[in-house]
Amino acid sequence: MALRTPEEFVQSLADLHLQIYMFGEKIDDYVNHPLIRPSINCIAMTYELADMPEYEDLMLATSHLTGKKVNRFTHIHQSTEDLSKKVKMQRLLGQKTGSCFQRCVGMDAINALYSVTYETDQARGTDYHERFKNYVQYLQDNDLVADGAMTDPKGDRSLPPHKQPDPDMYVHIVEKRDDGIVVRGAKAHQTGACNSHEIIVMPTVAMREGDEDFAVSFSCPANAEGIYYIYGRQSCDTRKFEDSDLDVGNMRFGGQEALMVFDDVFVPWDRVYMCGELEFSGALVERFAGFHRQSYGGCKVGVGDVLIGAAGLAADYNGAAKASHIKDKLIEMTHLNETLFSCGLACSYEGVKMPAGNYQIDMLLANVCKQNITRFPYEIARLAEDIAGGLMVTMPSAQDLASEKLGPIVEKYFAAQCDTPTIDRMRIMRLIENLTIGAGAVGYRTESMHGAGSPQAQRIMIARQSNLNHKKELAKAIAEVGKPWKNEDIKSPTAVKQH
Amino acid sequence: MTDEGTPAEGRVKVVYCGGCNPHIDRAAVAAGLPVDDPDVPAGTTVHLSGCPRACASDHQLVAEGEEQAEVGAEGAPAGPEGPPVVVVAGELVDGVPTPAQEIVPAVTRKLKE
Repeated sequence: MALRTPEEFVQSLADLHLQIYMFGEKIDDYVNHPLIRPSINCIAMTYELADMPEYEDLMLATSHLTGKKVNRFTHIHQSTEDLSKKVKMQRLLGQKTGSCFQRCVGMDAINALYSVTYETDQARGTDYHERFKNYVQYLQDNDLVADGAMTDPKGDRSLPPHKQPDPDMYVHIVEKRDDGIVVRGAKAHQTGACNSHEIIVMPTVAMREGDEDFAVSFSCPANAEGIYYIYGRQSCDTRKFEDSDLDVGNMRFGGQEALMVFDDVFVPWDRVYMCGELEFSGALVERFAGFHRQSYGGCKVGVGDVLIGAAGLAADYNGAAKASHIKDKLIEMTHLNETLFSCGLACSYEGVKMPAGNYQIDMLLANVCKQNITRFPYEIARLAEDIAGGLMVTMPSAQDLASEKLGPIVEKYFAAQCDTPTIDRMRIMRLIENLTIGAGAVGYRTESMHGAGSPQAQRIMIARQSNLNHKKELAKAIAEVGKPWKNEDIKSPTAVKQH
Repeated sequence: MTDEGTPAEGRVKVVYCGGCNPHIDRAAVAAGLPVDDPDVPAGTTVHLSGCPRACASDHQLVAEGEEQAEVGAEGAPAGPEGPPVVVVAGELVDGVPTPAQEIVPAVTRKLKE
């Protein structure tokens, strides 16, 4: 099958008949549901741009498995150039959607599993890598969306998986059969899960002795029997039920998270990529996290571009664009955003070719990238709110603007810069609201904090790779630590001057 | 990566990275290599990087195997047909985690394989 069109993607999603629940009810026509559709539009954009010659360089790649052009979201990185193009593609999509476009998790999962399955086979004599290569080709040939599912609910964090009072706190194997395994549990915060054709499950922590049934990785169709989804709420989400698009802020696009439940799901052996190999669970977690921490150096930067643009427009519309402090705030926002991009690119350019033949980001720099992501978008958002002014949270509704009686009053009192229609000023204010405290803030702020691992997770990785002893030796050498001290060599400042 | 590598001393050619972020003592590793061991084929190459970025081997963690890397020094072909090529990148030997004190024995074993 060739690359899909956006329309074909949406239809293929509808054809899955996923088991999605929201507000306590099952949602049948989910592709046309007003809360879900904006998130579907985001992924549709990954298909739309792939079909446009002006974006082909970033959106498409040549499969090392088939030699065919594939959507980069299904590609196994073959060079440091591939790694950097990934980041640039993500920035582009953030710019086009002003939102989380969700397809990255699957891309990061297949790139992590590609090397881990190879190394597992080398050490254990298993055949996971060939299975997995076949699966990647299946994704590529059919231009599918895969959800990379890592985060278990985790229950009591002080206890390992096998000691949880309820073992379902981590996805685990409940039965091994001749033809496959049966798994149970759940994955939380699953970005784009309800917009995916496929689910790729990975363990969420490095497993230890006793956790063998929890060290499991596999893939399955998103509509496999026993899988269902409970849709996550977002700030201001029910504004999407209102007839007007104005108050939503970002009318066409949005993110999506869900709790994904595995209620005794059967997985055939050819879809199993880890089954009890404890020693490789940590590497899989670290590599997926590393790739995903790189991703944020692209996607959040693209959304940041939109927010910086919105802040600039707000300044224009307010008639404040020439104020020096406004200019300086826009410069600061740009500086922060481009610093994030620099981190995303740096960990790409310093990537390495793995024994499996694929390329992996530099782990230290990827973790530094994500650590900055946990901070800078908050500052960019703060500055956007500063520039926008309080109106972004005090404006009357679209219904007031549409009211025969109130509309002219709203128009009159919220007019500012004389060439700008009040409605456009309101649109930009709502967009800033969306990205800083509304539905878009789920992706731009809290996801920046906790997505791909909370800040402390990066700090552990940074500590592990900081090479502190080398830095201490550098300091000792410069300061001449250990050099014998002789009082008689010390001259008074006066003597030095005379000398 | 140094283009020329260290001039061949004995049977093992060492290609160093630039040394900006050493997680291991590269000179100590090089000094421990079996340069005069007759069991080591002549023309072998050790790409010796101080950290996992593997600059000495052009960012490749392995030079042999299914995915053939083209990092044989000075025309020496990498892979099964040519003399052994081993990549050390920090505490990784051919991509396998290896504690610093185990690097020389691990490389020596590989050179003699």
